[in-house]
Amino acid sequence: MTADLALATRALSKSYGSRRALDGLDLTVPTGVVYGFLGPNGAGKTTTMRLLTGLLRPDSGTIEMLGRPFSRSDRHRLFDIGALVESPSFYPYLSGRENLHALASAGAPTPRKRIDEVLEIVGLRDRAGDKVSRYSLGMKQRLGIAGALLSDPQLLLLDEPANGLDPAGIVAMRETLRHLAAIGKTVFVSSHLLAEVQQLADVVGIIAAGKLVREGSIKELLAGEGIVRVRVSPDEVAAAATALATLVQQDHVTASTAEPGWLTIQIAPDRTAEVNRTLAQASIYASGLESGNDLEELFLNLTHDPSAVDPDGTFAGMRGRSTTEIN
Amino acid sequence: MRLFVSGLRKLSRRLATYLTFGLLAGLLALIIIAVAASGGRGQSDGAANPLAIVTFPGAYDLILSFILGLGGLFAVVYGAAIAGSEWTWGTLKTAVARGESRSRYVLATFAAIAVVAALGLLAAFGIGVVAAIVGATIANIPLDGIGNAAALGQLPEHFARGWSAIVMEGALGFAIATLTRSQLAGIGAGIAFYFGEGFASLFLPDVVKYLPFNLASTAVGNGGFGGNGGGGGPAATTTPLSADFALLLVAVWLVASLVVAAGFTERAEITG
Repeated sequence: MTADLALATRALSKSYGSRRALDGLDLTVPTGVVYGFLGPNGAGKTTTMRLLTGLLRPDSGTIEMLGRPFSRSDRHRLFDIGALVESPSFYPYLSGRENLHALASAGAPTPRKRIDEVLEIVGLRDRAGDKVSRYSLGMKQRLGIAGALLSDPQLLLLDEPANGLDPAGIVAMRETLRHLAAIGKTVFVSSHLLAEVQQLADVVGIIAAGKLVREGSIKELLAGEGIVRVRVSPDEVAAAATALATLVQQDHVTASTAEPGWLTIQIAPDRTAEVNRTLAQASIYASGLESGNDLEELFLNLTHDPSAVDPDGTFAGMRGRSTTEIN
Repeated sequence: MRLFVSGLRKLSRRLATYLTFGLLAGLLALIIIAVAASGGRGQSDGAANPLAIVTFPGAYDLILSFILGLGGLFAVVYGAAIAGSEWTWGTLKTAVARGESRSRYVLATFAAIAVVAALGLLAAFGIGVVAAIVGATIANIPLDGIGNAAALGQLPEHFARGWSAIVMEGALGFAIATLTRSQLAGIGAGIAFYFGEGFASLFLPDVVKYLPFNLASTAVGNGGFGGNGGGGGPAATTTPLSADFALLLVAVWLVASLVVAAGFTERAEITG
């Protein structure tokens, strides 16, 4: 492990009884980046978070944080780390500000003025006097992020931070986390919101069945993962597939059985116009086009989560993204 | 220190604190006034005079006895509620993730409970005395003994013994809720323990006398002064323990409960 890593795990393993939650996890998180930690339900994301915050003891393996080894008994190391593990946890009968005061009394010493600063950062200053029991899920989430920021940590560990946030809250959170990375802090975010991670993270790690199956920068990971979806008249699907096979290998063109008329082409998104032109040259006119470099496709391929895929092999998450309707 | 102060601040804002105290003080005042208003009617031959609770100076000890008897149950429930909620709400998890020492967090939280218990004991006693004065007035009983120097002189020791007992019972509920990691389960188990011990005293008096609620009762019991054992009845022991030895065992139960709570929390895998 090297000093320029904010976080690294080696062969980290954890079992609950006979169930192996983590199976030799190797994470490498550089300093000063936003790291997106992705995985399907039950893959081991939350277990990893618990191990990184000393809530659990690993069966084997090592953790290094901010350049030094970390174990559960080494609790002072957590003074430089802010964490939001699972759902935000607060005293419901106290106000947001009182909860942060209570939190500040534990662990890392925190100046009193810092409480107002973090309330300002997460946009809760106006509601800081309200009891937490009256907070919405999104407000609790903001308060949880405020709690994680209390000690002005060098490394921030956030478990599904966008949960419950409205679109404006998600944008604000993204900007805050990007800002933190820009000033040299490291942000480790676990999420199931792939599009969010794609926008937020510099580096992504994908975990499946307790093992890291891919890790790297978004750009590296998505190279060759682009797709274009096109909608033609259902009786022109075969002809369209033949025409498109001149652009890519034939097995890179898939017709959807669930949505008659839709074809999926594995091709770089910047070649969308080329797809349209090829169809036009074959006298086939597309009535819809979608394109994207898709982390979701990579994610599904790597994690083999059949529940997230349509029966015909196309992925449901494609719907709702930028679509051009042609009439 | 900041953990302890924070613990006190949290308890001072918590409904359970006022609910527990309100129930205890309310029941105490209600019973005293009701007894006085009834004028001790329905007293059977040979039974203690019910109006003794509004007759000073003996009223001091009887009021304290009532508080410590019912207060034992309330202390178990309160201790369990506070410890259990740390697990149920996940606030312990958040503190640990900030690098706080688990055992220090547990002990500081309990220290705040002990202080609140002392304040509650004093306040409930004050309310009880006021209720007894009102009751004595209703029942036309003279208040001559209210300034009895001997009785007043014994109160600090009685308070100290009573507070020790209440704190130990609170620690017991605290430890049970920590082991169950749940507020509701802790409260339920604490109540079951309280009544279970009282029930067991009918069959196993020589064993039960070493159990916490009976020890608490014995530790504070001197002459006419004394709380009730678990389940509302003192153990029918053949060889009763001395109050001082019982107080020592109360301390043992207190320390053991805190060691169990801190030790369990220290080793626990926090998954909730």
